[in-house]
Amino acid sequence: MADAAIHGHDHDTRGFFTRWFMSTNHKDIGILYLFTAGLAGLISVGFTVFMRLELMEPGVQYMCLEGTRLFADATRECTPNGHLWNVSITAHGILMMFFVVIPALFGGFGNYFMPLQIGAPDMAFPRMNNLSYWLYVAGTSLAVASVFSPGGNDQLGSGIGWVLYPPLSTSEGGYSTDLAIFAVHLSGASSILGAINIITTFLNMRAPGMTMHKVPLFAWSVFVTAWLILLSLPVLAGAITMLLTDRNFGTTFFQPSGGGDPILYQHILWFFGHPEVYIVIVPGFGIASQVIATFSRKPIFGYLPMVYAMVAIGVLGFVVWAHHMYTVGMSLTQQSYFMMATMVIAVPTGIKIFSWIATMWGGSIEFKTPMLFALGFLFLFTIGGVTGIVLSQAGVDRAYHDTYYVVAHFHYTMSLGAAFCIFAGIYFWFGKMSGRQYPEWAGKLHFFMFFIGANLTFFPQHFLGRQGMPRRYIDYPVEFAYWNHVSSIGAFISFASFLFFLGIVFYTLFAGKRVPEKNYWNEYADTLEWTLPSPPPEHTFEQLPKREDWDKGHAH
Amino acid sequence: MPYEWLPPSPEGARLHLWPYRSLPRRGFVWFVGATAALIAVPLIGVLGSPVLWALLPFLIAAIAAIWWALDRSYRDAEIVEDLLLTPARMTLTRHGPRGRHQSWEANPHWVRVERHETGGPVPQYLTFSGGPRPVEIGAFLTPEERLTLEHELRQHLRALR
Repeated sequence: MADAAIHGHDHDTRGFFTRWFMSTNHKDIGILYLFTAGLAGLISVGFTVFMRLELMEPGVQYMCLEGTRLFADATRECTPNGHLWNVSITAHGILMMFFVVIPALFGGFGNYFMPLQIGAPDMAFPRMNNLSYWLYVAGTSLAVASVFSPGGNDQLGSGIGWVLYPPLSTSEGGYSTDLAIFAVHLSGASSILGAINIITTFLNMRAPGMTMHKVPLFAWSVFVTAWLILLSLPVLAGAITMLLTDRNFGTTFFQPSGGGDPILYQHILWFFGHPEVYIVIVPGFGIASQVIATFSRKPIFGYLPMVYAMVAIGVLGFVVWAHHMYTVGMSLTQQSYFMMATMVIAVPTGIKIFSWIATMWGGSIEFKTPMLFALGFLFLFTIGGVTGIVLSQAGVDRAYHDTYYVVAHFHYTMSLGAAFCIFAGIYFWFGKMSGRQYPEWAGKLHFFMFFIGANLTFFPQHFLGRQGMPRRYIDYPVEFAYWNHVSSIGAFISFASFLFFLGIVFYTLFAGKRVPEKNYWNEYADTLEWTLPSPPPEHTFEQLPKREDWDKGHAH
Repeated sequence: MPYEWLPPSPEGARLHLWPYRSLPRRGFVWFVGATAALIAVPLIGVLGSPVLWALLPFLIAAIAAIWWALDRSYRDAEIVEDLLLTPARMTLTRHGPRGRHQSWEANPHWVRVERHETGGPVPQYLTFSGGPRPVEIGAFLTPEERLTLEHELRQHLRALR
């Protein structure tokens, strides 16, 4: 305390292990999150590429009981291995929902930039932050291990879908499903601890004068996400704990034989699951807002409506869950309520889309890579939103339920919406985080490859869904062949663009051009991280930032 | 402004300083209240089923955790520095965080206010020297606040001599 301490700053003498494995620094942990999420993403994308390869032609050529093949071979016998297919969709779903997008957007960018944007020196609980990260790593390892451990049908892995519906999940053999449940538990614990940390930091450590209505939109979006996590993940943790006891200790929470109700699980799961999809996309809203304002050289249009639209989307997300399960036999009144409530979400979402367009209106737009990705997000997320309105109609959903139309819809919102935001964020802040700038042409090439590939993958799936092709099957009648072929080609282009992106990242990290400026975009990138050197020093804002640093008179 | 000269009293001039926190107590109530209300929504669906009792502990744990975290964050900053100036003695007492107390006493005649523009843990670091040991004051304030504070401290000390 009170004893005076007058000394210079100690030099950083930590070794590699101490710095990265025992880190309590929010910036280092953010970077760890981004890299780990990238690795999990690569594994998860690997599953999809193999699945699209299988779906490229009618019939089963690659996922054979006789052994998995990478090259089709018509001369050899091939018995379809449906279990492997089910394991692939399960692993893809679990990894993407829990271990890729949330850690990248919330754990990575949230950890790195939220404290910087509000002028806090670090997170409120730095050691808990480290715990969150390592729980996430342990969870990812368990999820991958579950694919390779004994499961149902006397094969490896469990093929129960990421939603883990009983009685399928409670009757699957082996211990693979238990590992998957533990993986989700760990990921949930990690996210909840992270959320508590971020909420406390956001609420209690903002710089003096930075009222809730002056916080930059990205920090707001991370806060709303943290709140959604805190509200929804405990529910999931409870639900899957009951699955675990049903599986191993003979309880009958969801077993009709013992008076349980499997539909109840679906209600609880989707009470978590619908907020979950907003958890995935809301930080993306924040990134898009910052990027669009910067490259339109205008303050964001309608700051307060943007903030309250995010809060409204979050709150509405908790009262619409049953629109995922119109076909389980709810009463007409219940279905009408969920249909109406779901359509209401279009209002705050519309406010956001409108405000982004209005931000660009009359601005001097510069098509740098982050802006391209943000525009791609805007365009594709709107398409996904429109098909969402179609699917929200309980009557129409009778036809579309569990078809490829649904697959196309949620990939447009999440795979394209959230993934484009992740890339926008990476290109926007790459120089800030690493001190080196990516080659602009490479970023643009990545964008166009990914944009074309992703649309080619998912747009034809609307047609397949309208033709009635059900999701989650290894094979299909020859009538669906054409658009499946197109979709697979799109998936390969997207995968190539992802590999190219990894190349850009490593090239830039080791050989990119150094950025000497603090703010290498323009003066409309006006949040606090742009007042720091690139990369920022180990410790930032130990003295509170001054109001003129962040309050530029116009909104953020 | 997280420091304040209390109204003059017969015992002498008194200064209180405390660190800045951005969440008012009312905000804490609203936040925890809204969180508890929303997290209770799924319980409606499982009323009358044993699932309720399996779900409830998780929801209570979540509310308890955010409550504890915010409370702990307040307690980390429950620091009050209390400076009492009388012509014969000046005492600086620091309360907190978490029940710690430290105090310092000196004769104001010999005490000098020193400002270290750089080199301290924070810019414009303020210390008192001339007592039994050098002590800091207001290290948690903003640099501008410390500049004004320095001026006011010098005025008060001069008035005592």
